[in-house]
Amino acid sequence: MNADWTGGPDQLLEADEQRRDVARRFRNTQLPMMKLWTYYYGLGGDADEMSFDAYLNEALHLPASQVGLIATAMRELCEGGDR
Amino acid sequence: MTGSQEQPFQEHEGLPPEPAELSLQQLVLDSPDIKAFLTELAILASTRLSGPGNTIHSGVTVLRHKRPQAVAASDAAAKALDELQNGFGQGPCLTALQQGTTLLVPDLAAESRWEPYVQTAVQHGVSSILAVPLDLEGDAEAVLNLYSGRSNGFSGEDIATVESFAAQAAISLRLILRISQLREARNDLTAAMQSRTVIDMAVGAVMAQNRCDRDTAFSILTRASSTRNIKLREVAATVITSISGERRITAYFDE
Repeated sequence: MNADWTGGPDQLLEADEQRRDVARRFRNTQLPMMKLWTYYYGLGGDADEMSFDAYLNEALHLPASQVGLIATAMRELCEGGDR
Repeated sequence: MTGSQEQPFQEHEGLPPEPAELSLQQLVLDSPDIKAFLTELAILASTRLSGPGNTIHSGVTVLRHKRPQAVAASDAAAKALDELQNGFGQGPCLTALQQGTTLLVPDLAAESRWEPYVQTAVQHGVSSILAVPLDLEGDAEAVLNLYSGRSNGFSGEDIATVESFAAQAAISLRLILRISQLREARNDLTAAMQSRTVIDMAVGAVMAQNRCDRDTAFSILTRASSTRNIKLREVAATVITSISGERRITAYFDE
């Protein structure tokens, strides 16, 4: 999954930055990783727990569509409320 | 299990520790959730230690997201005292929690630490405090707080009793925590299965209508969700309802 979708070096740089931002927001939420993954899976996410964990620790890249779902999962979970 | 009748809280002369252990296990079985367990624990501790002319109030504070919270108490007075301390953000029980060791304040009038809290506690009629942390091995942090209206309200024997009591309670509590974590994970997974079914279905519908690929369908739904500030699952449900009129889509998930 890593790097096969990324275009040139510019896009990789952009993806790095986005990933850093997502990882930072994840740390701030103090959500358990499994809770976020489960929610993300419920939104239709495709990445397994290990890739997901690796992404949030800035060790792996995920396709843009998955990154969007991770962001959505974080947003919806942090709004709290019912699930 | 000895099979004998439950004999709660007799005086400790010459008694083996079985009674307390037995009833604690009973607590685990009888408690529908942790809060109930902790409340029963607090009541147990105060019943066990209270004597004539020395009523012990007992409460449990749990550290959640690094913030102390009074979750259970033997009575309203103990709950108020716990909340008072948490409100001040400092006190013997919070110090015991941080250090992970038992802390005894034999006489509040002679205590110079935790100034503002101690003064207020004295005004509430408290003279001595015993705080015993529960070792939960990183799952959570909790402390059992005991308040007496007498100075030197806790004997050395009392302290030993509460400590062994707290150690047993911690073991039971770890088990409850483990179980409730698993239950929560199971509930989360069930919710995820329901949600994913609806979303996958809506993604397929959008793909068919727009003749687009899956990623594009996802981003159409996600954009609708974030611009209108509606949950993705609800956007998906709306899509399905608009096509087929179906309102309830459920997935069977083997529990």
